Amino acid sequence: MLEINNLNSGYGKVSVLRNVTFHVDQDEMVAIIGPNGAGKSTLLKTISGLVRAQSGEVKFENDSIFCLSPDQVVRRGLAYVPEGGRVFPNMTVLENLMMGAYSNPGILKTGILDEIYTLFPILKNRSAQFARTLSGGERQMLAIGRGLVSRPKLIMLDEPSLGVAPKLVDEIYEKIHALKRIGLTVLLVEQNTGYALELADRGYVIENGQIAMEGTAAYLSTSDHIKKFYLGL
Amino acid sequence: MFETATQGIITGILMGAIYALIALGLSIVFGIMNVTNFAHGDFVMLSMYLSFAVGSALAWDAVATPLITAPLMFLFGIITYYLLIDRTLRQMYVVQLAVTVGLQILMRSAALIIWQAQPRALQYSFIQGNIQIGDFQILTSRLFSAVVSLIFIAGMAYFMNKTWAGRAMRAASDDLGAASLMGVNYHKTYALTFAIGSSITALAGGLVMSFQQTDPVGGIRFGLLSWAVLALAGLGSLPGLIVAGIIVGVVESLTVSFFDPRSRLLGVYAIFILVLWLRPRGLFGRR
Repeated sequence: MLEINNLNSGYGKVSVLRNVTFHVDQDEMVAIIGPNGAGKSTLLKTISGLVRAQSGEVKFENDSIFCLSPDQVVRRGLAYVPEGGRVFPNMTVLENLMMGAYSNPGILKTGILDEIYTLFPILKNRSAQFARTLSGGERQMLAIGRGLVSRPKLIMLDEPSLGVAPKLVDEIYEKIHALKRIGLTVLLVEQNTGYALELADRGYVIENGQIAMEGTAAYLSTSDHIKKFYLGL
Repeated sequence: MFETATQGIITGILMGAIYALIALGLSIVFGIMNVTNFAHGDFVMLSMYLSFAVGSALAWDAVATPLITAPLMFLFGIITYYLLIDRTLRQMYVVQLAVTVGLQILMRSAALIIWQAQPRALQYSFIQGNIQIGDFQILTSRLFSAVVSLIFIAGMAYFMNKTWAGRAMRAASDDLGAASLMGVNYHKTYALTFAIGSSITALAGGLVMSFQQTDPVGGIRFGLLSWAVLALAGLGSLPGLIVAGIIVGVVESLTVSFFDPRSRLLGVYAIFILVLWLRPRGLFGRR
């Protein structure tokens, strides 16, 4: 579904990703793990168009989306929930969710908001509140909800547990697990390796801007390298 | 004394509503695009000349001219955005400053060449005359302009909150990157924002022409007044903008009544400096 070949990307002259190659198949949940600064976020930003790729190939459903702008990428059905959520603080929860339908306003008539309120009941209670008044966990749920409004075929989640109170992290992960059950393809970037490998079907380890390891979640969880450096076992 | 003060306050409130309208154009461009348009006052000046041209060619009342000048200024805004402003966005701030100040000089010089230096005015409007309430007089043209300004600002609030384009503008103001992830094309949204800001000056220009003349350097006053209103109001609150406009209008009017008409902006600048000093985010601003 999503195919990345020999992708190079970075900021200005600084190169962050080097020859990254990976793929995500339909209905899969793929995790990308790695230490801080390895280039995980840059990878998602490059796919979504926020960061301009230097070279390589990015294909979504067999069409090239290489170097498209973010507003064009989301129209293809590829949503990106950025690190920290980045909800619109001076807009209400409902307005934030509605912005998710900006590329296709007709979608609001399909009952999508009710589906999102079922998944995140707290958002319904807070719908008239400004997003700036939400807690870290609520913001993250709003950001995920906002990403789902466009009914994407693939959703990319960037560190969904970041800035979330520890007792809420489990809840967020349950919701992500629920996304998989409703048949969404998910690309998950996470520093919390334990969680990521528990949820995902497959994973890639990214170190210094390069793919260092790949395999099924079960394989990665038993690898000595992962155990030693990521799970601290 | 009491009569003079009351009369000054009435006049000030009416002018203040128009100042709020003029500042609205500056406010949305600054608030949404983070562009400081130093030529804003000269957009008002150009609008007033266009009103003069349309009004004298078609023998129209000044207050009707925005029907033609607003679409023209909308177009002027779009062209200015793509030709100049869009190219300054990813540059250092000083580039934007130089470009808008340059635009200001260009517009002033062009007005001087086209319309010469002597002030231009339209025939007195159908809304001339006074309304007498007790001992006080209200100029009908100012009352009309103030009411139209307030209605337009309310309409703008509706637009920003209830339309897709308005919400996209607010989203872009909050977080441009996140807005683009929602499918907002920021070039288009910014062009629309700038064009709306520009056509607001057309409406304001038409209203002001119903009781005032225009000259090539007349834009300076509106530009500076807009900055004073904006500094007082802060960003993000339309009611705040109206209150700030009225404060500026009343201070200006009372300075004229009690001090000296030639120093009409003295009090306004005093507040401007005080607010920047004591409360830089404005009286009603959220940031």
